[in-house]
Amino acid sequence: MIWVRTPFVSGKGDPVRQPIEFDHRHHVADDGIDCRYCHDLVERSRYAGVPPTSRCLNCHNQIWNDSPLLATVWTRYFRDQPIPWVRVHRLPDFVYFDHSIHVNKGVGCESCHGRVDRMARVYQIAPLSMSWCLDCHRSPERHLRPPDAITAMGWTPPRPQEEFGRALKTLYGVREITHCSACHR
Amino acid sequence: MTGNRQPFEHSAVDDAGRVTRRDFLRVLGAGAAVAGLGACVEPPRERILPYTARPPEITPGIATFYATTMILGGFGTGLVVKSREGRPTKVEGNPHHPASLGAAGVFEQASVLELYDPDRVRIPRPREGVGGWDAFARDFALLPASGGTEQGRGLHFLMEPTASPLTNSLIERMRTLHPAVGFTFYSPLAFTGAMEGARHAFGRPLQPVYDLSRAAIIVSLDADVLDADPFCLRYARQFADGRRLRSRRDAMNRLYVAESAFSTTGGMADHRLPLRAGDVADLAKALLAATATPEEIRPAMPLLSQPTPDGPMASWVRAAAADLRAARGQSVIIAGAQQPAVVHAIANALNAILGNIGTTVRFIEPLLPTESPEHALATLAAAIDAGAVDKLVILGGNPSGTAPADLRFGERIRSVRSSAYLGLHHNETALDCKWVLPALHYLESWGDARAYDGTASFVQPLIRPLYDGRSVDEVLAVCGGWPTTNAHALVRELWSTQPDFTVLWARSLERGVIENTASPPVSAALDWAGVLPVLAAEHQRAARDSIEVTFRLDPKVLDGRFANNPWLQELPHPITKLTWGNAAQLGPDTAKRLGIETGDEVSIAFGGGRISIPAIVVPGHAEMSITLPLGYGRSGEERTARDVGVNVYPLRTRNAPYILSDARVRGVKPGSREPLAITQGHFTMQGRMIAREATLAAYRADPRTIAPAHEPAPSLYKPAVKSGEQWAMTIDLSVCTGCSACVIACQAENNIPVVGREGVLKRREMHWLRVDRYYTGAAGTARVISQPMACQHCEKAPCEYVCPVNATVHSPDGLNEMVYNRCVGTRFCSNNCPYKVRRFNWFDYGSGIPEVLWMQRNPDVTVRERGVMEKCTYCVQRIRRAGIQAATERRALRDGEVVTACQQACPTRAITFGSLDDPESEVSRSRRQERSYEVLGELGTEPRTRYLARIFNPSPDLTV
Amino acid sequence: MTSSPAHRIDTPIVLDTDDDDAQLTDRLLAPLRSKSKVWYALLALSGAGMLLFVATSVYTFVGGIGLWGNNIPVAWAFAITDFVWWIGIGHAGTFISAFLLLLQQDWRASVNRIAEAMTLIAVFNAALFPVLHLGRPWFAYWLLPYPATMAVWPQFKSALPWDFAAILTYFTVSFLFWYTGLVPDFATVRDRAGSRGRRMIYGIFALGWRGSAEHWQHYRIVYGLLAGLATPLVISVHSVVSMDFAITQLPGWHSTIFPPYFVAGALFSGFAMVLTLLLPVRRVFHLEEIVTARHIDAIAKMLLAMSWMLIYSYVCELFIAWYTGDPYERYIFLQARPLGPWAWLYWAMISANVLAPQLLWWRSVRLSPLALFALSLVIQFGMWMERFIIIAGSLSRDFLPSSWADYRPTWVDLGLLFGSIGLFLFAFLLFLRFVPFIPIAEMKELRREIRGTA
Repeated sequence: MIWVRTPFVSGKGDPVRQPIEFDHRHHVADDGIDCRYCHDLVERSRYAGVPPTSRCLNCHNQIWNDSPLLATVWTRYFRDQPIPWVRVHRLPDFVYFDHSIHVNKGVGCESCHGRVDRMARVYQIAPLSMSWCLDCHRSPERHLRPPDAITAMGWTPPRPQEEFGRALKTLYGVREITHCSACHR
Repeated sequence: MTGNRQPFEHSAVDDAGRVTRRDFLRVLGAGAAVAGLGACVEPPRERILPYTARPPEITPGIATFYATTMILGGFGTGLVVKSREGRPTKVEGNPHHPASLGAAGVFEQASVLELYDPDRVRIPRPREGVGGWDAFARDFALLPASGGTEQGRGLHFLMEPTASPLTNSLIERMRTLHPAVGFTFYSPLAFTGAMEGARHAFGRPLQPVYDLSRAAIIVSLDADVLDADPFCLRYARQFADGRRLRSRRDAMNRLYVAESAFSTTGGMADHRLPLRAGDVADLAKALLAATATPEEIRPAMPLLSQPTPDGPMASWVRAAAADLRAARGQSVIIAGAQQPAVVHAIANALNAILGNIGTTVRFIEPLLPTESPEHALATLAAAIDAGAVDKLVILGGNPSGTAPADLRFGERIRSVRSSAYLGLHHNETALDCKWVLPALHYLESWGDARAYDGTASFVQPLIRPLYDGRSVDEVLAVCGGWPTTNAHALVRELWSTQPDFTVLWARSLERGVIENTASPPVSAALDWAGVLPVLAAEHQRAARDSIEVTFRLDPKVLDGRFANNPWLQELPHPITKLTWGNAAQLGPDTAKRLGIETGDEVSIAFGGGRISIPAIVVPGHAEMSITLPLGYGRSGEERTARDVGVNVYPLRTRNAPYILSDARVRGVKPGSREPLAITQGHFTMQGRMIAREATLAAYRADPRTIAPAHEPAPSLYKPAVKSGEQWAMTIDLSVCTGCSACVIACQAENNIPVVGREGVLKRREMHWLRVDRYYTGAAGTARVISQPMACQHCEKAPCEYVCPVNATVHSPDGLNEMVYNRCVGTRFCSNNCPYKVRRFNWFDYGSGIPEVLWMQRNPDVTVRERGVMEKCTYCVQRIRRAGIQAATERRALRDGEVVTACQQACPTRAITFGSLDDPESEVSRSRRQERSYEVLGELGTEPRTRYLARIFNPSPDLTV
Repeated sequence: MTSSPAHRIDTPIVLDTDDDDAQLTDRLLAPLRSKSKVWYALLALSGAGMLLFVATSVYTFVGGIGLWGNNIPVAWAFAITDFVWWIGIGHAGTFISAFLLLLQQDWRASVNRIAEAMTLIAVFNAALFPVLHLGRPWFAYWLLPYPATMAVWPQFKSALPWDFAAILTYFTVSFLFWYTGLVPDFATVRDRAGSRGRRMIYGIFALGWRGSAEHWQHYRIVYGLLAGLATPLVISVHSVVSMDFAITQLPGWHSTIFPPYFVAGALFSGFAMVLTLLLPVRRVFHLEEIVTARHIDAIAKMLLAMSWMLIYSYVCELFIAWYTGDPYERYIFLQARPLGPWAWLYWAMISANVLAPQLLWWRSVRLSPLALFALSLVIQFGMWMERFIIIAGSLSRDFLPSSWADYRPTWVDLGLLFGSIGLFLFAFLLFLRFVPFIPIAEMKELRREIRGTA
């Protein structure tokens, strides 16, 4: 019972090595690129969307286009081979998590993914256990934000989160959804 | 949206049936892996493989829909096909298309599995020598350059009749360029009796199109219009609309059916007369005599025999005649496709006399060849014997397997110097031909089609060809040696002559029909001169004391073309509930006479052919008549189809393709084969009020009799918490024909596994939705009532409180949820389910199937692991998707926004689904009907699925 | 057990020997030293059975429940029948020792340990089936209420979590009761042991028993308390088991008479099993003077009484089924069972459980070991069929005729049943060889009570 709660099982806090040393710190913090530029499906689809290789080259055909770090990107692009990114946040196949509804109802990226803008290699900040999901589903107000702050990192609520969250909760009509078929189908 | 969907030349699936890595990934898109229940082990970190450049029309995680057309029996049915990350996963009907009206039958539903069939032909290959399309072209293509009318002598095409404008234009082009090239059209699905009948009645062959919605009285002379007809989806819908009761006062049409085998149409009859197929002609004559006034039929009078005054036949005729006379212009007489011309002639005559032409029936120019396919094939056989054919190209169909036995067509194909077969499977014909060419599935190919009423529509692909295949049109073009051989170009070329083509093209692809292309009705005036000779002529009929044998297209595999489709093999036959095979259907008395019962065998001999086939006794089957379903006992190299059931083609000959009057029949007891895999062992309701029915008169007199209100049962538990929508379903037994389209739709939507013959024999079929069939009435006048039965989503669900681990629980919106990943498999829930609709994964059905079949799976539904329970979820994945959609748009769900798979497929709209929290929703209103009742409601389960008792409408002057 | 010798003279004898304590002890320890060929033969035979059980279990675990004959509607069949059957058998033991101890039935002394051992083994056997029967046995622990990362609890309305608990408790208490009773005898074995090894081993099990007055005092208290604790369990376990069926609404299961009915049935089969085991043991080890005709006669009478409790339940069920007028109930009780496809099973069951026991009215039958042995086997067979008819029979004919289906066991089903019998005998034989199966201390005590001499 204790063992399954340790990071050894949950995979929490274990920086994942990617085929390309993509540094979120640089892209998010330094360049200030919005999450949705690359993860563009997050508002429409179940999947946040791992960007197609072409997305990288939108910028990188202009800047750093001869950087050796990008060699793989170029070769893979021209061979029409996908880049084998490594999944960081893995949910079991019987869990149907939908990004769009969470984002549209005011749950910020940071709430589940943490300060990605401070991660060289991205890692899991949460155990992703069912009870962890339920904590928020039972009292969502603790994690709600206004639409413009969804992708913000290190955002702090103007008023105490409890009451501010409760206000947003009524505003968006956020419900405490804890029935099974919400996630398991 | 489809510009970049050209057929490609290379294959996405390798010979072992594995999807080659890159294409599978392309197809799957970003991480949309097929869901599986990997609960117990922690796998290594998995990879995400995004697109290198994402196609504009694909959004991973979001389904897209395309309109296309499926051609069956030469006629098209418009469909809307769901695609996830570039994989077609589900077929739905196209509301704009006249042959569909939004519905999709079992074949359309199952066709998506056919696309991914691991047994499909993959590469063009000759028996010996080098393969490939170029090699084929070198052997077969003509050289238009070195023209001459002699060019192409000896080249002969054998193909299925089709109404496709493109195919026919290519044939015409070939004929004009090379008059010497021969064409033969054969298909067991093509019937010419109707057009024959029209020639007799009106002087020229015509094709009847019915409008059942305007018919108050419908008389079917051995015609299964609701299930076995190119227009059956439309007819079923029209029939249902004329029958649907919203209140007690609504009017209801009346259906008379005379038939030998129990058909779906017969099951819906208000008056069904079991009658040998060979005697239908006599019935028709009697009906003509009894219906029309003497002056209307003066010329025919001497030729018409009056029926014997007593007996069921006479009373049936009397009642039908009375109703027909009373409903001039609002009645229709329909002759069965496999009936001889005389029956059609009489039906036409009656329709003309009653003034139905122009109201309930109209005639159009024939869309298919009018020559009988059997005789066409016989001519070809003669030509082959004469050595006039040295290159035979067979485009589709399976003549070796389905040709009349006396033609011994397989041997003849082998005797041709060079022969090629274009098809999906290595069937009997493929084995007889020198060349085998992979055909494109309609979901992979471009083309066009005509519906039964002439309405044209395009066939557009949803996926790049899985294998190196070509469509019929493309092969014709290749053989013609023409520059353009690409179907996409060909079809555009053909239609580009139309005014503002670009608009038409885009619009038609979007809507799935090409507007105003239905054939115009032509005038048809009755001319006795043609009718009298056929009336006079003696028609084929078995002697009173000898047993007639009739052949039927099987409602599951037709002539055998769907025999390799596991969904259809495992689909219970609408009447006999037989799966995985066929059996000789016969009536109880005939069985007694032969000294056999269900499971024993009958041995039938005719001409050179002799077969021995298991018998199945069907109450209500005409006595002294045996029905043999075609399409089983296949001997091709198709793993699923091979040796399932008994091949009855050996008895079917050129001159008696459907009714065999002089076969030698004897009973064999006990049967040598293993038991029949039947999914329902008990056919009576034991006097329990399960599937309820009443006559219209009785219902009007006192509606409470069929659905007596019962006290709500007391309960110890406090009622479940309710919030948001309250989902519920209503099934109208008055219009449910039992066609089982819903069963296949459910299977396709919910990743339901197939358990095979052994599984069914062990009573382990997995269908979430089954169609129960009960016999009512006496053996002689037996009627059937079909009752779709799935999870009833009880508000006080017995399954919920017995599950020790809370794996089945209630949601606030009224769903009985089944949580696979929590289930430990005690099966306690099934024991306590009064409806026995829960299914258990006895083995790991999900895995161990060829990878290519994974592509069909619905990524929104978990694939269940071994040892867990499963059941109908009211398509919860559709409910949640719609809910999320509405929530993100900050609005409430609209009534009718959530449609379950079964509801969507249903041709008669028998299923209503919606929320009870809106008192004006369809489903709420349906529950307020007096005939709405709960099955086993007295147990206090408070099911959310309710049934509308079946009301039928017998003639007051006939006792049922 | 204080009653004057005078009063004893006319009561039937429960101990018929003139041995003194030493001789009695030797005689009772003899089996532990015996090198009987019969024992080895039987051990091999039952060992084979045990291996069959292991094989079929592993096969099921790997291959899935599909290897059995179960289907929908008959989702429960052989395995659950075996489970209920074994649990039932596992009842007489504790009943005899605890119940009769409280009722101060001195005749229990010489048979109770065999009965208790039988109980333990049977319950252990029984407990294996429900787990094996799960679709996903590796998640069996989900039936326990523990703080899971899923934050989901068991469904306490269901009978199964309670079943789980009840069986566990029953096994634990029965084991403690049995072991406590053994402690003084282990000490005896230790003291009489020839080899050092035996002395060591039995010494450990004897927990340093020296037989001081203080020991005996504590012993009596603990033994009495455990008896008091075990007695209600005899009733509760099978009542809970019967709930697995009674709480459903399936015709044939949905019945309020089930708890007492099942307990009666359990004791019935339990006593039958006691006879099955006791009679051969008595014969083989020549214990006629210790397990006297009086014992056999008493058990036989118990059987007869139980059979009438059972008959009463049968009649009640049928009457209620008819009296409610519920069509489904009526169908299952008045048609499906007596006339349906398994009618022959039903009538075989009736003759085994209702008719056969009536032979026990005759004293000659009660005193004929052979007849009793045969009868005990017949009864156990009948009780197995009763459970099968209730479980599979009811499932195969429920509410909607469309879903009716019959059931046919596979070889795996049969393998598990016969394998479990092998496992049972295997364990029992080991018990006979290594544990004093007649309570030595109690016998000596009894002897003194009867003789009244020191």
